[in-house]
Amino acid sequence: MEISVNGAKIYYELPFDIPILGRLQINETLVVSWIVMLLITGLCIWLTHDLKVENISKRQAFAEMLVEAADNFVVGNMGPKFKYMVPFVAALFSTSLVSNLISLTGLRSPTADLSTEAAWAIVVFTMITAQKIKTSGVGGYLKGFTTPIAVMTPFNVLSELATPISLACRHFGNILSGIVINGLIYAALAVASKALLGLIPGAVGKFLSCIPILDVGLPAILSVYFDWFTGVMQAYIFCMLTVMYIANAAEE
Amino acid sequence: MAEHQELINAMLSITNVLLTAGEETPRYQELVTLVPWNFIAQILNLFLQMFLIKKFLFKPIREVLEKRKAKADAEISDAVKAKEEALAMKAEYEQNMLEARDKANAILADATKTASAKSDEILKEASANAVAIKAKAEKDIEQEKRKAVNELKEEIGGMAMEIAGKVIEREINEEDHNKLINEFIEKVGEA
Repeated sequence: MEISVNGAKIYYELPFDIPILGRLQINETLVVSWIVMLLITGLCIWLTHDLKVENISKRQAFAEMLVEAADNFVVGNMGPKFKYMVPFVAALFSTSLVSNLISLTGLRSPTADLSTEAAWAIVVFTMITAQKIKTSGVGGYLKGFTTPIAVMTPFNVLSELATPISLACRHFGNILSGIVINGLIYAALAVASKALLGLIPGAVGKFLSCIPILDVGLPAILSVYFDWFTGVMQAYIFCMLTVMYIANAAEE
Repeated sequence: MAEHQELINAMLSITNVLLTAGEETPRYQELVTLVPWNFIAQILNLFLQMFLIKKFLFKPIREVLEKRKAKADAEISDAVKAKEEALAMKAEYEQNMLEARDKANAILADATKTASAKSDEILKEASANAVAIKAKAEKDIEQEKRKAVNELKEEIGGMAMEIAGKVIEREINEEDHNKLINEFIEKVGEA
């Protein structure tokens, strides 16, 4: 029995190299990302059609609740001056959440590709750095690396760089581990069910052993943790850290 | 025929290509890798998503919330205005009531005063009248009495003279006569 856990499937690749960036590919990550974006945008459009000022529908109440929850999350953690960050954090959270949960439909999560999280982490890192420079100026920002003493500079630079890396790898690692463990469990349960049903003598045993009966049910229970819980938690943690880092950068 | 054969061959080869293309083993990315194109695309996707969410969720919802807030504010300010108006009206009404009460009291006091003055006057007049009437009556009575006494005096005097003349058939001394009469009248007047 051989199991392989692969990266995203490549559907199409341009036959020539582009310098530095390599070959342009259309792969599963991108396609599923677009599906995720369509889902979110479609949901937004569906939620906000036919809005009323009075006597609102449940749908509108839910949409208003979402907006208020996003406002509360950002304003509560960052203060009212960061209200312009609400759409960004909302986009980050919804994209991450739907990307994580879309694995339940059998599609491959775009978040199971390190490029996705790295992209988000770099954007967040840029925002943190921009906020730091805005708060204390370029000189103040650079001087911040030499605190408390100049000898600490390399470590400070390292810890600064660790921020986006840990941000990206935390999210990616959690999703990937879910995929790997799910793959292993499916394969292991298939082997186990083959061995178990192979004990039945004759043609019946041979036939039944081809069907991985144990694969039905048990992986769904594990998916409650690996897909639902991890998916929601990682989306929340990523946004929470984003918000906290940027709010911290604005202090001092 | 040869042309047909060529066409069929070409179609067969195309079909073959298509079939084998479908059966080609799928290619995968590595499990943990950074693909620059994915990286760039995901950054753009994130900002595009942000724009879409802003346009399709936040903008319309915020507009509706804003409208509702404006409406609620307008209603509250209307209510405040109405309350102020009501209070002003109430104050005016109370003021009016107070004035009316004062006026009524004044009228009442005035009327009472007038009435009592009038009644005093009437009483005074009446009592004066009564006094005058009483005095006149007394005077009249006195006069009548005197008149009656005089008449009686004369009549009785005459009668007595006649009777006495007839009874004694003699002439009495005029002087005695008058004395007797006066004596009698004195007695009658006292009676």
